[in-house]
Amino acid sequence: MKRNVFISLALTAILMIFLCPPAQSEQLDQIRIADGKGDWGYPNPYLHYPRGPGYVRMSWVFDTLVWKDENGFIPALAEKWEYDPTRKAFVFDLNPKAKWHDGKPVTAEDAAFTIDYFKKHPYPWVFLGNVERAEASGKHRVTIFLSKPYAPFVSDVAGTMPILPKHIWKDVKDPRTFTDAAAFVGCGPYRFRDFDKAKRTYLFEAFDDYHLGKPKAKRLIYVRSGNPIMVLVTGLADLANITPDHEPVLKKKGMVILHDKCGWNKKLMMNHRKEPFSDKRFRHALCHAINQQEIIDKAHRGYGTPASFGLLSKDHDLYNPDTPTYEPDPAKARKILESLGYVKDEKGFYSKDGKPLKLELLASTITVAGEKVPDRDGEVIKRQLEAIGIQVDLANTEQTLTDTRVKKWDFDLAISGHGGILGDAKILAEMISSSVGAGSVNSARFDANPELNELLQQQMAEMDAEKRKALVYRIQEIYAREVPAISLYYPAGMAAYNSKKGIQWFFTKGGISKGIPIAQNKMSLVR
Amino acid sequence: MASAGQTTGNRPAAAAFLAAALVLIYVSFVLPRLLPGDFITAMYSSSHVVLSAEQEKQLRAELGSDTSFGRYLIRLFTLDWGYSRALQAPVSSIVLAALPWTVLLVAGSQAISFLLGFVMGVEGGWRRGSPVDRGLLGSMAVLEGIPEICTGVLLLAVFSYSLGWFPAAGAETAYTEMSFWGKLKDVAWHLALPMVTLTAAYVPGNYLLVRNSMVLTLGERFIVTAAAKGLTSRRIRYAHAARNALLPLVTRLGIRLAFVVTGAVVVETIFSYPGLGSQLYNAIEQRDLPLIRGIVLIASLLILSVNCALEYVYCLIDPRIGNVR
Repeated sequence: MKRNVFISLALTAILMIFLCPPAQSEQLDQIRIADGKGDWGYPNPYLHYPRGPGYVRMSWVFDTLVWKDENGFIPALAEKWEYDPTRKAFVFDLNPKAKWHDGKPVTAEDAAFTIDYFKKHPYPWVFLGNVERAEASGKHRVTIFLSKPYAPFVSDVAGTMPILPKHIWKDVKDPRTFTDAAAFVGCGPYRFRDFDKAKRTYLFEAFDDYHLGKPKAKRLIYVRSGNPIMVLVTGLADLANITPDHEPVLKKKGMVILHDKCGWNKKLMMNHRKEPFSDKRFRHALCHAINQQEIIDKAHRGYGTPASFGLLSKDHDLYNPDTPTYEPDPAKARKILESLGYVKDEKGFYSKDGKPLKLELLASTITVAGEKVPDRDGEVIKRQLEAIGIQVDLANTEQTLTDTRVKKWDFDLAISGHGGILGDAKILAEMISSSVGAGSVNSARFDANPELNELLQQQMAEMDAEKRKALVYRIQEIYAREVPAISLYYPAGMAAYNSKKGIQWFFTKGGISKGIPIAQNKMSLVR
Repeated sequence: MASAGQTTGNRPAAAAFLAAALVLIYVSFVLPRLLPGDFITAMYSSSHVVLSAEQEKQLRAELGSDTSFGRYLIRLFTLDWGYSRALQAPVSSIVLAALPWTVLLVAGSQAISFLLGFVMGVEGGWRRGSPVDRGLLGSMAVLEGIPEICTGVLLLAVFSYSLGWFPAAGAETAYTEMSFWGKLKDVAWHLALPMVTLTAAYVPGNYLLVRNSMVLTLGERFIVTAAAKGLTSRRIRYAHAARNALLPLVTRLGIRLAFVVTGAVVVETIFSYPGLGSQLYNAIEQRDLPLIRGIVLIASLLILSVNCALEYVYCLIDPRIGNVR
């Protein structure tokens, strides 16, 4: 009897060992992440490419004061923080356990130094124009003084700015040529070990002294593969971005599928600096001519969500549900065009003063969350516009060529897109106003409405959450009425991972940093 | 006399190749400049970073300037190929890191397809009209019509996805400690599917070319003479007929080898295999002019070198060519 009990217990123990996922204290040997391009620059603030995957690779090595998880802001280097409105200052108390990868402690001096250094050598991800100075007021307390209130501070500065070790960077005169091993000493959960430029692979090793806990995997490896199904199913990778087509196969293979909220939008840019787009009524006609759902159905087999004409995502905390919308209504579009003096010729196309209404539409394969996503949006939009009587020349070009022409205002219509619409509402200023978004081809760079310009500035300086919400609501209303660019749809953002490794990946609330819609949050490998 | 004639005849040829090399260097310098857009636009315009006008001006000053042709030429002769803006590394190191993988894949496939195409073409031509010939001819004609992308995807689906026999991506298992033999095996394991894909694309053309040349050569009088002398059929096939049928195949190989750098972009993409082709594609997308120039120059000089080498190989295969003035 005793023998049977012993055997049963032994069997149970063996089964427990084999069937249960690895315990938290056990470190996995490695985690592999795949992406289609592979090469995103060196993981250092000055060397990574200015796209989401480049920033994410850097984030494994360098920590910020504040971070985000699936529920919102969480402590990172700073244990706690508060805003002091009387001094217009943010006070951060740093985690005293934080260490640099070379073993030295992270101090408030480092944080204050970083602000000074980035002011001197700008890091394009962080805007410090409203930051006056930073002061180490104790070994682990840093106070950052603002020249004027800046509402996006926590998201765009504290939650995005990687803190640099003063003892290394104080003597670096040209950060873009600083590529020594010391350039990759951070205080994040992983140390950078290698970037193979030919194979486009990255190797990171766990920093076991990481102040928020020992990382769950000893090594983090990025591999290049444009075929997520293959690499996930064959075990070459544990996590990869996927497209909706991949979901059924990967589900069958036991992969966990993650669905992101609407954090990325496809847009139709219009050259509103010239006729006929400079006339708001013409832009309204285009809005009514375009059927967002049809684009999703025909070009994306139904995967996607029609976008709000107010730019902010429908999943954003500050989304205005009363944002004006434009129902697809070809008859109304025609009526507007005719009210503007356009007349139809015998072929059914409009012209005005003998000049045919003929537009060029630029389309290209756009990178979404680091992956190239070919689509047929251009063809569908061309057909929709031709259906109401506008002739369209569709030019499928390479993305940089389209970007170059849009930048120079040498275009009529162009299909474009960007993320960040779940992040801080600062995105409104970046994607609408030319004073903030001059360098972006995704920005409408629209300054024709003085009220809109004023509100965009006001909302960035409004530290009261409720008041800011009211301003952001109003901006969405005005923007949707002006429609200097048409938000078309939110593509379905997805990722898949192998749950057998015991890691739970997730999409970050509002996106990583400034709204990066990639499910590679470092907290997945820490907590 | 013949050797003297060849030497004097080679002088203008060498001068022509040298002049062509200089032209290619100039073209490799100018061509990337004609691409619309620049590095800053390619990297930042539709990125997560929204540059202010001031930031953009500053970046353009730091990264946007280009060198003059004179400086470029001087640097080339001092073996300085420039510095990649995107990858922050010397162009020569990037090219040298990717080149071995390209050579391994493309030159390996070329060599295998050359041998296979040659042997099958000779045997098919010799056995013209036989069931073996008809079978080979039919299957090669079909294979010739299948693009690399189809073969690659099919091989991936069957041997990687369904059977799990071969890896789906890469040139080796990244960051894994292995013995030398283990590493060799790993590289061969990763190389198998891309190499089969390329070989399948190259073999049919080689086969059809050699077979047709063989069919024509076998009707020549010297073949009848060789048979009358009582030579073995293998000797007639390979020493007499095949040697004459080889010339078009060598020309084809030369042309194919010239595209060693960029000829495998599709296969590199399907199998996420490293190589200069995909490196060039990325460099163009990023408007990384120094890297584009480096790869374009390597590709151009390779084409020139192969053509130059072919001049001599032709003489070796068929001495009559060397005597033509």
